[in-house]
Amino acid sequence: MVPWALYLDHQVTTEFEGRKWDLPSRVYARALELYPGAVISPGDLRVELQAAGYRAAARVERPGQYRFSGSAVDVWRRAFHFHDGPKDETRFRVSLNNGAVASLRSQPDGRSIDLVRLEPAQIASIFPLQKEDRTLVAIADAPPLLVTGLQAIEDRNFKHHHGIDLRAIARAMLANLKARRAVQGGSTLTQQLVKNYFLTQDRTLLRKINEAIMALSLEAHYDKAEILEAYVNEVFLGQQGAYAVHGFGRGAEYYFDRPLNRLETHEIALLIGLVKGASYYNPRRHPERAKQRRDLVLSEFAETGLLSAEQARAAMARPLDVTASPRASGTRYPSFIDLVRHQLAQVYDEDDLRTEGLRIFTTLAPAEQEKAQAAVSGGLQDLGKRGLPKNLQGALVLADTSSGEIRALVGDRDPDRPGFNRALNARRQVGSIIKPLVYLLALEHPDDFSLLTPIEDEPVELRQPDGSTWSPRNFDGVSHGRVSLLDALALSYNQATVRLGLQVGLQPLVSRIGQLGVAADIQPLPSVLLGAAELTPLEVTQVYQSIANSGFSVPLRALVAVQAPDGDELVRYPMRLMPQPHRDAIGVLNYALTRVVAEGTAQGLPALLSQNVTVAGKTGTTNDRRDSWFVGYTRNRVATVWVGLDDFSPAGVTGSNAAMRIWGGLFAGLPLEPVDLAVPEGAYYLWVDPESGRLSAEHCEGARQLPFVEGSEPRKWTACAEKSQDRDKESIWKKIFGRDKQ
Amino acid sequence: MTSSKNFSYSKTALLAGFSLFLASCATPPKPADSVDVDTHVRQPAEQDSAGVQVFPLKNPAVGGLLEDADRAESDGQYDRAAMLLERALRIQPRNPEVLQRMAEVQLSTGDYEQALNFAVRSYDVGPRVGEICSRNWRTIGVSRENLGDSKGSREALQRARSCMVTKPQGM
Repeated sequence: MVPWALYLDHQVTTEFEGRKWDLPSRVYARALELYPGAVISPGDLRVELQAAGYRAAARVERPGQYRFSGSAVDVWRRAFHFHDGPKDETRFRVSLNNGAVASLRSQPDGRSIDLVRLEPAQIASIFPLQKEDRTLVAIADAPPLLVTGLQAIEDRNFKHHHGIDLRAIARAMLANLKARRAVQGGSTLTQQLVKNYFLTQDRTLLRKINEAIMALSLEAHYDKAEILEAYVNEVFLGQQGAYAVHGFGRGAEYYFDRPLNRLETHEIALLIGLVKGASYYNPRRHPERAKQRRDLVLSEFAETGLLSAEQARAAMARPLDVTASPRASGTRYPSFIDLVRHQLAQVYDEDDLRTEGLRIFTTLAPAEQEKAQAAVSGGLQDLGKRGLPKNLQGALVLADTSSGEIRALVGDRDPDRPGFNRALNARRQVGSIIKPLVYLLALEHPDDFSLLTPIEDEPVELRQPDGSTWSPRNFDGVSHGRVSLLDALALSYNQATVRLGLQVGLQPLVSRIGQLGVAADIQPLPSVLLGAAELTPLEVTQVYQSIANSGFSVPLRALVAVQAPDGDELVRYPMRLMPQPHRDAIGVLNYALTRVVAEGTAQGLPALLSQNVTVAGKTGTTNDRRDSWFVGYTRNRVATVWVGLDDFSPAGVTGSNAAMRIWGGLFAGLPLEPVDLAVPEGAYYLWVDPESGRLSAEHCEGARQLPFVEGSEPRKWTACAEKSQDRDKESIWKKIFGRDKQ
Repeated sequence: MTSSKNFSYSKTALLAGFSLFLASCATPPKPADSVDVDTHVRQPAEQDSAGVQVFPLKNPAVGGLLEDADRAESDGQYDRAAMLLERALRIQPRNPEVLQRMAEVQLSTGDYEQALNFAVRSYDVGPRVGEICSRNWRTIGVSRENLGDSKGSREALQRARSCMVTKPQGM
């Protein structure tokens, strides 16, 4: 008997001592910043509020509720520990006007405020392998009524017994004999905890004796507060899908959508009542039973003096107040979460994510993600109706131009389907998407090239490494003769691009792609000039982010910060700027890409957008119409869309008939800012005559302002400009460049 | 602002491109070789500009964040200041003042590469004249010096002094 007891003692203390709860990690979207002038439509604000777990209410009476009235929204924000510190709950009113925040006032005092953040939407949990969901609570932070009430209901003698309560057992036995079945258990909280640890529910006598011995030894080794804290976090309180809800901390969130220390009396009573049978008394499924049980608990509170009779009556008069359905704790946006996990894997192993209770702050914008998903799913369905294959697949990456933060990511036409994530993993030939880099390399040689430099769009024959001859044709089958760099790019002429590419060099092109942030393995073959290089949509977005952001690359990222549950340890993923060489040439290319949309291969795009803003972009189509690409940007957003078939078979798609439509569908619904056309030091806008390639003046016919890298500008003047500039032609250079031209 | 200790020992992780190279290093509260921004950047810039300032349009939300960042900075909480400035940059990504502040915070933490890059960005989008221009170039100068580019540093300081005589260029 003694060795056995020693063995059990060892077992239970090891279990208790080594007990470290596995806590799921929570993944959050970005926190929405609201300030006067912030661009957001009422519809988007509603989506954001709902994603963040807010509920529409007729009256805003508690945190987590909102109410639209006309163009104003009342919001009661919950307390939340943001990645840069905790913030209290706060009430405010947002007034919207013309798709933007017109004013922001705290409530009820009406004081105007400059800036407020919504707490971010929880978009996923990364659960422990044993599928337990839990939010840890320190016993010192638990509401006093929970601590005392739990003892009153489950174990009145907790403070005094040594692990087992003989009187309670006797009482239970008597009751069970009377009823001729087990109606009452005499288990102490300590015994219940032991039972939970060893996860068997069988009621054999031996098990009961073992349990009693273990309970006695737990009590011998640890104080009451430690045991109670373990109990409060261990007890089973419900089941959410595949995940078991353990502990009162998570229980409060699961049933009431609030932290435990914000619960009211009647809510605490309900949770305590659930200990007896979380499924039998499930308040969502069996509200009647749950109410009876809760009221019984409340009357026992009154009987034991924890509440006055008056307080108990008032609490009984309250409805259950559980939320209609629990907030989703599973994964909402599997493609994006995939990227999050991929980027987290650089620092954390899978086990940390499943057990450390990390709080993971990401860059996702729920309203934009929803639109991106709708654009891909709806767009592909629409293409199916237009005669393209019904099983087309698609991928989309949407990022903030300046910060590189990924706002939305779609990796499958069915956004809820986890699995192959095309946005991250589909390596496909990029077609003409690559061409702008050929032109960039040319513009980086201002002595030889400007946007007005003529090149030949004529047949070209090249010997391939395998001995065959490659003679690329243009999309329309026609050679266009002498064209400017600008027109060749805007109209995506293949023959002109190949000729230009051979001049600037294949190895420099491959190196430049690497410099722009893509580590893909690309062979420097002539066919690369027309996009025989395989990149993922995410990589394409990275390349174009640099161009869209005036040559300041920012590594695209899905993570902002990761925090331990106590809020102390923090790993930040800060915004890092990586300036590209030749930002002057990038500035000129940026302008040229707006011409692709204005008068080139993407000229169908403006009609797809509801707003009249300057947009830049490039279409891409691959051999036999296997892949359709569109990458485009505005001052605030850059996005790539890919469409094609998973088995690489011809799909009948072109850049403008498929991907561009989806891109346009998305951007039509986003608040857009026009492309930043400013050029950095070393480049200038000049009035020129594109026909003759000469310098012109504003008032001359056909004159147009084009950007030039210093040194690449035309030297000759049109007759019209010559006449008007004659007198001070010398000083023109001084005017433009601040010094004489050498 | 709360919590002075919270971020002092925090780790900083940076994600670099798709090579998926990721380094993580501790940022101590005040590195031994950090630069005093007031002495090396702000005060001389004030002299360079002879009181002439070009103020960008102030957004109250950004203004509030800048004030908070100032406080964090003077308490030596550079990581916190950087987080506040990042928030400001999400609202106004091309605000030259916010970009320059970020450069100065990076200077204080001894991250000269990022100090240099943010200062260059601020100059690119900024007025390229006046006090902020001088702060841009002084930050570039101090960063280059610390990155071992003495010649570049001298050139930058030259540019800083001419922020009042050179007229704005570009569009």
